[in-house]
Amino acid sequence: MAKKHTFDYDLIVIGSGAGGSAAATIAARSGKRVAIIEEDTFGGDSPNYSDIPTKALLHAAQLYDEAKHGARFGLRSSTLGYNFPSLRTWKELAVKRTGAGGNKRFYETNGVTPIHGRAHFLSPHEITVNRRHLSAAKFLVATGSTWVRPAIQGLDKIPYLTPRTILEVMRPPKSLFIIGGGQTGVELAQLMAIFGTKVYIGEIASRLLPQFDQEVGELLERTLHEQKGVTTLTQSRVVAVQKDGLGRRVIYSRGGVEKHVRVDEVLVATGRTPAVDLGLENATVKFSKKGIAVNEFLQTSAKHIYAAGDVLGHDSTTHTALLESRTAEHNLSAKTPIAPDYRATPRVVFTHPGVAHVGLTEDDCTRRDLHVSVASAPLTIIARSNTSDFRDGFVKLIADKKGTLLGATVVAPHAAEIIHELALAIRHNMTAAQVAETPHAFLSWSEAVRVAAAKLS
Amino acid sequence: MTHIIKRGTREYENYSRDKLHKSIVAVCLSVRASEGSAATAANATCDAVDVWLKTRPEVTSDDIRRIAGKALESHNPDAAYYYLAHKHIV
Repeated sequence: MAKKHTFDYDLIVIGSGAGGSAAATIAARSGKRVAIIEEDTFGGDSPNYSDIPTKALLHAAQLYDEAKHGARFGLRSSTLGYNFPSLRTWKELAVKRTGAGGNKRFYETNGVTPIHGRAHFLSPHEITVNRRHLSAAKFLVATGSTWVRPAIQGLDKIPYLTPRTILEVMRPPKSLFIIGGGQTGVELAQLMAIFGTKVYIGEIASRLLPQFDQEVGELLERTLHEQKGVTTLTQSRVVAVQKDGLGRRVIYSRGGVEKHVRVDEVLVATGRTPAVDLGLENATVKFSKKGIAVNEFLQTSAKHIYAAGDVLGHDSTTHTALLESRTAEHNLSAKTPIAPDYRATPRVVFTHPGVAHVGLTEDDCTRRDLHVSVASAPLTIIARSNTSDFRDGFVKLIADKKGTLLGATVVAPHAAEIIHELALAIRHNMTAAQVAETPHAFLSWSEAVRVAAAKLS
Repeated sequence: MTHIIKRGTREYENYSRDKLHKSIVAVCLSVRASEGSAATAANATCDAVDVWLKTRPEVTSDDIRRIAGKALESHNPDAAYYYLAHKHIV
């Protein structure tokens, strides 16, 4: 009888973020021997350094901002102020209360062996962590991504902030230049501007949030400028950064002309790159700088190794990573693999007004040469905009010729909540008429969804 | 000190910058680079490998070959090709 190979674990998950955690706990609950390796803080980026702390601060900032502008409702707000160290304490409390951040015991109670250290593949079935060799029958790589340092002259010579380090500053800088006008750049721009920082955003594309529809970027640019005094420099490429006294001089090129601006701090938010430097070559896993190559079932070129989350290199979010993690775990153990369904995965920007999108954008439809109908309902059309005295925003729906919804964009307060109705409709191939027929509560922001859907039906 | 897991035997030895330096100089000289440029390329390559190893307590000899080859490419592409492929050239 042939000797059966034994491994230390049934499954080793590398990375304890959203892409790894779910798979590890589900696998352990089904009786498998599972280990999870984390190099940084257990829980990954989202609960420790990005989503949770940023949103906790944004919540406080938006509350402060609304209260400051409450005079038009008859509220006295002249003595309103903030204490930044207390805000940081609130942020740390939010991280602690979430439970996922830095919580090694969570894995132990769920039957997962947590190991702190950097994992490096030695062979297809063996990794080393702190010189300890561990073998497993299967692996899930969910190492996430790291912030990119763009090739800008002088950036290596000055200290600069990243979306992770800006949350640790002792007080908001007087002026800040944000390189990158994507989701994180825009959220942090609004956050710092509310606390009195003069913010500049340098974006190489022609608008903010280039991955969303054009009108979203234009509206955000206008509201950030008019309400928060943010200067947006679109179609601008930062060419150099220099030290200038205690501050920094940012030199950027716009329309072929070089200009400069002097600021106290520079924040680099130009995107993330997959963390693939873990000896994947030794495991015969195909990958590039853009991420690990996987098939539709999240399986890599090595059949026993799967990958999930940001390490795949596509525009990932925490909820996408969770979806992939659960899918990968299913495929690691089940005989019939399934593919993750990305159709109804929302993308959300937690600004005020919020931005949320699901499905195809108008640009996506143009690129695919799809014949679609588009309808938009401005917020001014619904009664809630009157009672809240808020008018900047819209709901935009895209449907095919039969009226089946393909995409939706919401720019409104609580957009992150409104979008899920549309995500459900898109996932289940519902028509705009079906959405329009559904009663929407009077004086809710969601009434704009019904109005936009009615225009399409 | 980083451990280097050897191919085949799976035993380990401590990382030696001198050993790597000598092998880089040798491969540069084999493509007719001058001694000075060979030493310069070897120094730069060893520096890059040292930085890469800083956070890694244990790697394979194949990792060293790959990282060194990649770092050498910008200094002497011919030598880098030989360094990465000499085991496959008959």
